[in-house]
Amino acid sequence: MPIFGTEEEEKVRELLDALERPVELLVAHGPEEMPLAGARDVDFGDETQRIVEELAALSDRVTYRVETEPEGFERYPAIAVLPDGVDVGIRYYGLPWGYELGSLILGVVEAGKRESTLRPESIERLATLQHDLSIDVFVTPT
Amino acid sequence: MLLAYKTALASPRIRASAIEATEFPTLADAMDVWAVPRVVVNGVPQWDGAVPERVFLDRILAPAFE
Repeated sequence: MPIFGTEEEEKVRELLDALERPVELLVAHGPEEMPLAGARDVDFGDETQRIVEELAALSDRVTYRVETEPEGFERYPAIAVLPDGVDVGIRYYGLPWGYELGSLILGVVEAGKRESTLRPESIERLATLQHDLSIDVFVTPT
Repeated sequence: MLLAYKTALASPRIRASAIEATEFPTLADAMDVWAVPRVVVNGVPQWDGAVPERVFLDRILAPAFE
């Protein structure tokens, strides 16, 4: 079954048309944590890869590659969003489905912009950052 | 989620991850995830829910993380 319906596909295509630079998606496979009972009916790694393949098929500017246990990943499956093929530290851990597929797509759109869409004052404040920050946002598909 | 990604794109010092809580229950338990989005900075749970950009910046740039 395709990930996107016809209308959804058109919307995603339009969103991805706005990309000003190439975005590469790196799908990372590796040992997965056993999730809640019953959830094993889904192969999270395979499904994650299928979603990324379908996304990449909707835009010339979106490409993907698949690796097993690459460096820089803490759990699997995972997707790294690489603007211009460069790792800037953006990850999605898990299968991006339901509402969270939208977050991933918006992340790709954002990575495809040459200029940040943050407010100028926010960019100025971030420029003063003297230490590293790791921000994890826990999400659920619904 | 998008704000975290935007900050990672804007600053080489910031890494941002979305973590699907139901798929990683051990980690989600360790981070006391019961409402989403739950935001964790440098491995320490901080707050739940979406906040405006200015507030997000205020919180992640707090002196506690220096």
